[in-house]
Amino acid sequence: MAKILIAEDERDIRDLIMFTLKFAGYEVIATANGEEAYLRAQVEIPDLILMDVRMPKMTGYEACIKMKEIDAIKNIPVVFLSAKGQDSEVQTGLRVGAAEYILKPFSPDQLTEKVRELLKKQGK
Amino acid sequence: MSVVTLDGEILHYEVLGRGRPLIFLHGWVGSWRYWVPTMQAASMGYRAYALDMWGFGESAKRISMYALENQVAMLDQFMDQLGIAKIALIGHGLGALVALSFAARFPRLVDRLMVSSLPLGAGMVNARLKTSPLPELAEWMLGRAPGTDSARVEAPKADPQAVAASLESLQLINSLDVAQGIVTPCLMVFGQNDLVVQAPAQDVLAGLPEQFHSIFFEQAGHFPMLDDPNKFNRLLNDFLALPSGDSPRQLQLKEEWKRRVR
Repeated sequence: MAKILIAEDERDIRDLIMFTLKFAGYEVIATANGEEAYLRAQVEIPDLILMDVRMPKMTGYEACIKMKEIDAIKNIPVVFLSAKGQDSEVQTGLRVGAAEYILKPFSPDQLTEKVRELLKKQGK
Repeated sequence: MSVVTLDGEILHYEVLGRGRPLIFLHGWVGSWRYWVPTMQAASMGYRAYALDMWGFGESAKRISMYALENQVAMLDQFMDQLGIAKIALIGHGLGALVALSFAARFPRLVDRLMVSSLPLGAGMVNARLKTSPLPELAEWMLGRAPGTDSARVEAPKADPQAVAASLESLQLINSLDVAQGIVTPCLMVFGQNDLVVQAPAQDVLAGLPEQFHSIFFEQAGHFPMLDDPNKFNRLLNDFLALPSGDSPRQLQLKEEWKRRVR
């Protein structure tokens, strides 16, 4: 079972993502900010990391930069969840090492499909 | 997986979202799982619970608990244990029967009722439901819409005796009489191509209390929530948005709407 770490500060959205991915058959670790995600990633070594960009304590960008400095987790694909129309966010995310962007708004089905696609690329 | 213990037996449920509580009850084939898209759609404004009733999914399987009145009592105990005071109740097939009976017995606990594919009488259910094995029933009842696998894969988990017992219960009650005693606003949904439950005739529907309203999904079979999820979810959200006590007669099917994460 592939393991996915998510970082999203809005509880309702975090719960919905967690519920959707669990229902799709993945093990999900939920965190509420970039710092927590950075710390949990080193312990859990997930197969995929989904992060919101704008979060308290540590943004998604900052967490991604720090993750890429740790050998054990630097190759785990990081996917940012970002609002549509924020093109600069997409560019910044890719520059700091994100593998992909999922643009909000997205439906739960679209999220599952994208995650499946990304994990398949890794042979998971 | 979330569970509660009722009378020493495990009852499985899942929950999503925050807000006023909703409880989803599944039908004869499948489990809580086929409510997932509906729960997702409702989760931003409501706390959506979905249960596996006795004999289905991951809940306990003991024949003495399968009669309709025991499923109704289970719902009451579940609400009591979780501290849920008043709910919007959404049931399908068997779950619709349980929901209707619950609303009749505990009117003060139900704010509104949405029943899909509700048999108003024992003769309204296709006899095949009583005779075919569950996986075969699932193939017959479910279309090939993308969401239907969630019910298909869960079908074999049910105890066939739970289905049989519910149908025996249906013989013993007159669900049309039960409906006449309902004081809660009630939205009834039927699939035009439902092979399992026959929709009531227009004169029967016209004779139901004022707070009842029926909507037919032209392209749907027994599972309107899976056959036409966007319209179903939109309708449910419109129903839930009505002020408490308002009749659902003003509701109609609207353009498709899909819950998205912002």
